[in-house]
Amino acid sequence: MRSPLNVRRIIYEALVRDQLDVNQRPEIWDCTTCTTCTLRCPKGLDPALMLIGLRRVLTEGGRIKPTVRDALESTFKFGNPWGRGKAKRSDWAQGLNVKNLAEGAEAEMLYFVCCTPAYDDRVQAVARAMVKVFQKAEVDFGILGNEEMCCGSEMRRLGEEGLFEFLVEENLALFQQHGIKRMVTTSPHCYNSFRNEYEGRGFEVQHYTQFLADLIELGKLTFSKEVNRVVTYHDPCFLGKQNQVYDEPRAILQRIPGLQFVEFDRSRERSLCCEGGGGRMWVEASSARERLAEVRVKDALALGAEVIATACPFCLLTLEDAVKTTGAEGAVEVLDIVELVAQAI
Amino acid sequence: MDIVVCVKHVPDTTEAEIAIRDDERGIEKRGLVFDINEADNYAVEEALLLKERFGGSITVLTVGPPEADETLRMCLAKGVDKAVRLTDGRFEGSDSYATARILAEAIRELGRRPSPIGYDLVLTGIQADDDGCGQVGVTLAEMLGIPHAALVISTETEDGKMKVHRELEGGLHEVLEIELPALLTIQTGINEPRYASIFGIRQAMKKQIEALDLGALGLAEEAVGEAGSKTSLVRLFIPEVTAQATILQGSPEEVSSELLTIFKNEGVI
Amino acid sequence: MGEIFVLAEHRQGVLRDVTFEMLGKGQELAAAMGAPLTAMLLGHNVEGFATELAKHANQVLVVEDERLEHFNSESYQQVLAHLIAEHKPGLVLIGHSAYGMDLAPSLATQLDLPLVTDCVGLELEGGQPFAVREMYGGKVSARVAFRQADTYVATVRQAAFPVEEGAPLGGEVVAVDSPLTEEITYRKFLEYVEAAVGEVDITQADVVVAVGRGIKEADNLALVEKLAKALGGVLAGSRPVVDAGWLPPERQVGQSGKTVKPKLYLAVGISGASQHVAGMKASSTIVAINKDPDAPIFKVAHYGIVDDLFKVVPALTAQLGG
Repeated sequence: MRSPLNVRRIIYEALVRDQLDVNQRPEIWDCTTCTTCTLRCPKGLDPALMLIGLRRVLTEGGRIKPTVRDALESTFKFGNPWGRGKAKRSDWAQGLNVKNLAEGAEAEMLYFVCCTPAYDDRVQAVARAMVKVFQKAEVDFGILGNEEMCCGSEMRRLGEEGLFEFLVEENLALFQQHGIKRMVTTSPHCYNSFRNEYEGRGFEVQHYTQFLADLIELGKLTFSKEVNRVVTYHDPCFLGKQNQVYDEPRAILQRIPGLQFVEFDRSRERSLCCEGGGGRMWVEASSARERLAEVRVKDALALGAEVIATACPFCLLTLEDAVKTTGAEGAVEVLDIVELVAQAI
Repeated sequence: MDIVVCVKHVPDTTEAEIAIRDDERGIEKRGLVFDINEADNYAVEEALLLKERFGGSITVLTVGPPEADETLRMCLAKGVDKAVRLTDGRFEGSDSYATARILAEAIRELGRRPSPIGYDLVLTGIQADDDGCGQVGVTLAEMLGIPHAALVISTETEDGKMKVHRELEGGLHEVLEIELPALLTIQTGINEPRYASIFGIRQAMKKQIEALDLGALGLAEEAVGEAGSKTSLVRLFIPEVTAQATILQGSPEEVSSELLTIFKNEGVI
Repeated sequence: MGEIFVLAEHRQGVLRDVTFEMLGKGQELAAAMGAPLTAMLLGHNVEGFATELAKHANQVLVVEDERLEHFNSESYQQVLAHLIAEHKPGLVLIGHSAYGMDLAPSLATQLDLPLVTDCVGLELEGGQPFAVREMYGGKVSARVAFRQADTYVATVRQAAFPVEEGAPLGGEVVAVDSPLTEEITYRKFLEYVEAAVGEVDITQADVVVAVGRGIKEADNLALVEKLAKALGGVLAGSRPVVDAGWLPPERQVGQSGKTVKPKLYLAVGISGASQHVAGMKASSTIVAINKDPDAPIFKVAHYGIVDDLFKVVPALTAQLGG
């Protein structure tokens, strides 16, 4: 299987010939850091780490695409990669009566929203659904409001290790300042970074699907309405294959009354990456080959699914785009698990 | 080619709420994010591109408070050789003229040293994002006694002369030939500024930023600040909204329907 | 205060609008001061302009010189310095244009005169001039005073003042000998290069749908293009969109781009910075869609929708049958 992404060749060019140029090797930026390669390598090698190392060479030398540059500069200046102002970060929560720790409120659990649900119009609905569900289950939670800043997961994967370190320092200090002991995240990317990459963290962190699955198990979250849809679930790479959280999302979906759950063939550790991670939200694919997200949508249609459920803001946006580009609007819908839960409570 | 670039550390007011201070002489800076002035960023990139082609050194100057070091470090991280910050409480209240005066004196002072820093080219952005005066660059050129061209959108260098395009209204370009040393004010879009990584900025911490004050420049107190300015700010105010759009209310479908009616009435469709 | 000088601006055989905007303002100030209004015209074979200007000023000073055929800040500066020294006007108005920005600061510095740039307001109070100018992207205005001097210089924002249609002043045209001596070698005009026309001339369209930074990325252009097609119009953009390479320069609307005056101008995700507004203010109907209720575009638009363009644009396209 020939691929333009020949990691050994690229390393040779970078280290031996010092000829690496972002424009000559656009495929370096195609990688989504799903880490399937690392997980499958029979020799226990870590090609994903090597690729990120290559990106560090380029990024630290300033040789990156303008879209990546803008996302990185924005993250440093505004605490989010979307170029949006800090003062607008918690606008999504207006009128929802959410405790704001930045304004002195206290809560047992921090709901870490993530830059994408905070600012993206489509994904704000996910954050609002989360609040609805937490409030229904009488969870004692709060948000950091406008003080919340990017976890840095994508920045590290784009090769901006310095920016990542800066964010870790700032975030750990912020969490300490607010006495955060428990955290629940919307995004698997934030979950993965906080859980595995934030050394010295003094708090427990869960992805929201783990938290909600627990609530359902304990009888604190019950369903009163039916959601009569045929639903399949797309395992986000950063939740599934990287952190082995497979059962909880399924447990939630299967408890929703009326919901008919169907499983993708490529599911769990074999889940097909949607191509949203690893900085890909800011980088166009270098070739015109079929997008994996489009393959996923076609898989869902073949399965007879009306809804592709997922649990990641990037998967949500990428799969929704693919629904549009494959002309499947009206045939299949993409929803976050919490949105389905919110419909059923 | 030795280049001097004058930059400014300005607040980013995108999506920020701007509050005028009680004394009406400035805005509340707290909570605002500061960064290099957009046009100046393009000027720095242009200098770096010229250095990559022709060699030489780049010196960056700014008139500002110690916080402006953030911008200077970013320039150093990108490959600028030397950074000088002109800081003095007495510079407060300087208008464009007094600011140009400070910069001119600093450039002359750098040229008087035992190891002089000379220049073939002085670059500035076309205007600052905060005051939008567009005055410092061209004023500085006159003070230095060198030819200038403002609103430069492209440059070509050959034999000590530069061919530059100035961007006029309507996208028209004025092409002119200018002898060096000269001053150019740089328009946004002339190039694609590179990225300065956090690692690069940290590395740049090793490079020293020189701070010069009034005394170091040998300027009299009356030549700077409000005393040295030729204009003075009376007050800031939020502009009165004279004409205002009729805001259409309702859902996207409702406003679309209203718009269609408006379009039909105006004979557009 | 002495007379008011207005620098007539012309290019490629046409007197530019800012000239008449300044003359209109100049007339108002001259009347208030009881001082004459003088237009300064520099160029080569520009008698036709002189006659036109004479309708709007009490006097037109014409400096005819082959070396003034094309604008060059160096030669213009020499001539103006001479005229100002000779006449000692009270106020000199220059357009805040590509010419004015290149000329006024060095001229004022050479003559040690106070200069306020990009004025959107000018008035006299107690015999002293005061200017109003914008700061922070138009979000804040400033009232600025000039330091006491015999002559004040101001550059005037284009399209900020209306063109006065008062009774003709019937001014006198006076030829002034060119004070230019040696050839200026250190800055030479070579040529003008026209903006590429490309396949579409947005200045000819009846409907222009313009996008700004609000569309967030190039991929989203398709959405707005559909709307433009449904309206039978053309897609255009503000400067940031062109700087980012999402649209070619010939589609840029604004001071440094094209000026358009279509029947309908639909500003989608455009904040309304003055440099953009300058290029579309004269449109018959202006509709703005922007999430930010404080966006300056709403000051210029006739109709506004404060909502998410990603919701409104598809809804509008659908209703148009697009």
